Amino acid sequence: MSSDKNEQGEQIDLTKLNLQQLQQLKSEFEQELNMFQESLQTLQKCKGKYANSREVLESISPDWKDKQILVPLTSSMYVPGLIKEVDNFIIDIGTGYYIERDLDTSRDYFKRKVDYVQEQVDKLEKIQQTKSRFLAAVCEVMELHQQQAIQQMKQQGLA
Amino acid sequence: MEKETAAIQKRLQAEVESYQSVQKDFQKLVQQRQILIGQLNENECVMDELNLLKGDNKVFKLFGPVLVKQDLEESRQNVGKRMEYIKKEVDRTNNNLESLEKKLAKHRDSLQKLQQQIKILT
Repeated sequence: MSSDKNEQGEQIDLTKLNLQQLQQLKSEFEQELNMFQESLQTLQKCKGKYANSREVLESISPDWKDKQILVPLTSSMYVPGLIKEVDNFIIDIGTGYYIERDLDTSRDYFKRKVDYVQEQVDKLEKIQQTKSRFLAAVCEVMELHQQQAIQQMKQQGLA
Repeated sequence: MEKETAAIQKRLQAEVESYQSVQKDFQKLVQQRQILIGQLNENECVMDELNLLKGDNKVFKLFGPVLVKQDLEESRQNVGKRMEYIKKEVDRTNNNLESLEKKLAKHRDSLQKLQQQIKILT
């Protein structure tokens, strides 16, 4: 309900603006919305990365210990390796810092990160919604202006 | 009469140019602030993680291609220091933005005055 009130307050202001100001407002909103769209995409990508790491962790089981694997040196060259520890992961936590964590805490880390990013996405989507409602309101008032102008022209034409 | 208008027009143009250059600076600073805030956020996340660790957890820092083992407490201090520094930078940028905002308002005022003068003259 509170957002509705907000919109009404905005609308009252809008009718006082002239066409040029409205146009400026409209392009500003459009720019902002574009930015939001971009940010949302980045966030989704980010979330995907975290979710991917989380899935890989899920597939790791304790009986992988001492299993032979092939470690990729490049995308087309491998060396044989042996898994010595299945309960020890090094995680990139940003700004060049890496931390060693066991399976449970690693899982927890990625779960937290996915949730965190999702939270940001939700927040952004909410703002985006109110912004697009504002934009719609601006467009409405602009149309009103145009109709008024047309009517005025008609009246002048008649007189 | 015409000479006068031309002179004012010239001043108007100069004013518009300086207004635009200040505007550009302003936008640059806004971008800079955005980057700083992003860095601050990242450091905050790192700090949160470091605070979750216990004394026996290993911490590494990436130097070029290699990971170097770090002391946990030292890492916390370093990240904390880095955050302080970035916060100071954000404050500094905010102050600069404020003064630029004032400059912009002044320019806008004089622009309006010049425009009015032209209107009166023509």
